[in-house]
Amino acid sequence: MKNMRKAISLWNRGHWKDYVFSQGMLLIASLLLVFFISIGLGVGNILQRFLSSDLPEEQVRITPMGVQAGFFQTERGGTEITESTMDSLAAMPQVERIDPQVYAHVPAYLRGLLGGQNYYTDITLEGVSSAFVPDSMLQYIDWNYTLADSSMKPLPIILSENLLILYNAGFAESNGLMGLTPEGVIGLEVRVNVGSSSIASLQSPPINIRAEIVGTSRNMALFALAVPIEFVEEVNALYLPDDRHTYSALMVTASEAEDVPEIVRYAEEMGLSAETRRGIAQKAEILVGVVTAALGALAAAILFSAVASAIHTLVADLKNRSYALGVLVALGTRRERLVYIFAFQIFFMSLFSTVFGGLLGCGLSYIVSSTLLNLLPVLKMAVSSLAVYPVGWLSAGLGLVLVISTVSAWFFFRKILATPVTELLRR
Amino acid sequence: MSRSLISAGSIIKTFENLKVLNGTNFSLLEGEFVAVTGKSGVGKSTLLGVLGALDPTFEGELLINGVNAVEASSSELAELRREFLGFIFQDFHLLPNLNALDNVLLPAVFSGTDTEAVKDDAATIISRLGLRNDSTPTRFLSRGERQRVASARALVNNPRVLMADEPTASLDEESEENLFDLLDTLRKERGFAIVAVLHSKRILSRADRVLELREGVLHEKHA
Repeated sequence: MKNMRKAISLWNRGHWKDYVFSQGMLLIASLLLVFFISIGLGVGNILQRFLSSDLPEEQVRITPMGVQAGFFQTERGGTEITESTMDSLAAMPQVERIDPQVYAHVPAYLRGLLGGQNYYTDITLEGVSSAFVPDSMLQYIDWNYTLADSSMKPLPIILSENLLILYNAGFAESNGLMGLTPEGVIGLEVRVNVGSSSIASLQSPPINIRAEIVGTSRNMALFALAVPIEFVEEVNALYLPDDRHTYSALMVTASEAEDVPEIVRYAEEMGLSAETRRGIAQKAEILVGVVTAALGALAAAILFSAVASAIHTLVADLKNRSYALGVLVALGTRRERLVYIFAFQIFFMSLFSTVFGGLLGCGLSYIVSSTLLNLLPVLKMAVSSLAVYPVGWLSAGLGLVLVISTVSAWFFFRKILATPVTELLRR
Repeated sequence: MSRSLISAGSIIKTFENLKVLNGTNFSLLEGEFVAVTGKSGVGKSTLLGVLGALDPTFEGELLINGVNAVEASSSELAELRREFLGFIFQDFHLLPNLNALDNVLLPAVFSGTDTEAVKDDAATIISRLGLRNDSTPTRFLSRGERQRVASARALVNNPRVLMADEPTASLDEESEENLFDLLDTLRKERGFAIVAVLHSKRILSRADRVLELREGVLHEKHA
């Protein structure tokens, strides 16, 4: 439109500083919006990563209530899993097979030469049947092992992937070593000591066994090593012969995935805890949802107050200058043209503020992400960046800020201009 | 025969329960200079607001340049104010952060007309009114100078009718004479008509007609 720049320049002469506050608020609103979207989605990704499970859809992991992993258990009580529990479940027509797991109630540790450095960690031995081991892996390994085999072959072990993350974040980071990947550890030989650890030892002398890492899994406690179940039962019988024989978990495979809820219901009626892939996913979704909602609510509150402040300031400025608007109307400027000119001005000022604020938000989330990843290496191993930049969502958010500010200013501007010119001139 | 520029009949303007204009009539011919007088608060500025298409909230008939102002849209009234009328307001109504030239060019800039075309005319009028054409914002000018800037702004769009609400209220006698000397000269050059609210007897004597507003009705004082 002709003279648009000149008109905007004349209107704002001596008044630019009046816009600094309102545009500053819009800029901050955009910055925070982008920051919270970016970091919020990043946190969601991390939670998903940590909470994800590769439990097959038709499997149910049944454990006693309130019992933690193996040697590190802090509470025992309630229903324990015995042979009769297993028989009772096996009688269900929906159950195809049951693979028991047993924790060694014996202290143990793992020692190995990793990356040229001696690595040591206390561990829990988790005895699992071959069903726990993926079929692809079973082609290459022998999942049968007793103490009698210790002189002939290494104990096959499956590492918890979370233990790898911990190793990478702690030991490897502090010693300047390369991080280990799940694929990279397969085939590594280590030593497993049974009967003593850094915090406990039994009267019977410990046994030191050669072991080989044959795989990794996400379905294990942090410090657990999955080993053949016969080995753990043998160790428990050797060190704690008087303990009643119970199972620490049952991996129940349903005939079909649809049968899983019925098995879960039955296990829970027996006073046991049942975990399924869907249940884990739901828990993860709930947690991610809560975190995302909390961050979203915080962002919305900040955004609302910042946009409200910006609009309030813009409107206050327009009201303060309604006399000048009256002069322009009195001199014959059409109201529609004034609305067009000032909506255009507010749009472009707001566009600059939102885009600049959005870029600053991206920069801030990048800095926060880099700082947190440097401070908490455990995060670095889980995700490459804590900040996520979904262009569509960010554009939609910034567009919303832009539309709200422009439409509000346009609406109030029209309202002011609807006032009779003689009244505007009296203000 | 001179053409009628403004014709008003039975104008009634009420503020709440007070009838400020009570069925008054008015007419303005091409090139005519009509002065309106009356006591303070009698409604002279209100009358100018109605006749100048600034205030559409009245009863009666009003034709401005042949346009029925009662039925005209706000855009048509704006066009009349921009193209046909020029205003010198009692309180100047200048934008204080702008200099004289920018204030004078304000109507042209905001209406989207070619400012280059009127810039020379604006500079000439400013100069003829004895004003400095510099960057000084009008908030730093004296009342008399601001009055002259307001006059220049009213004249720059080459109106057919100049509406002036006490245009000499802030001026000393010499400036008052100078302003109306210039208005007389420009009126002869450009042929516009003037409707002015005035008190100064010396200036009233220059008018073709003097009307006194009494009890909401205009009365002819002398020819």
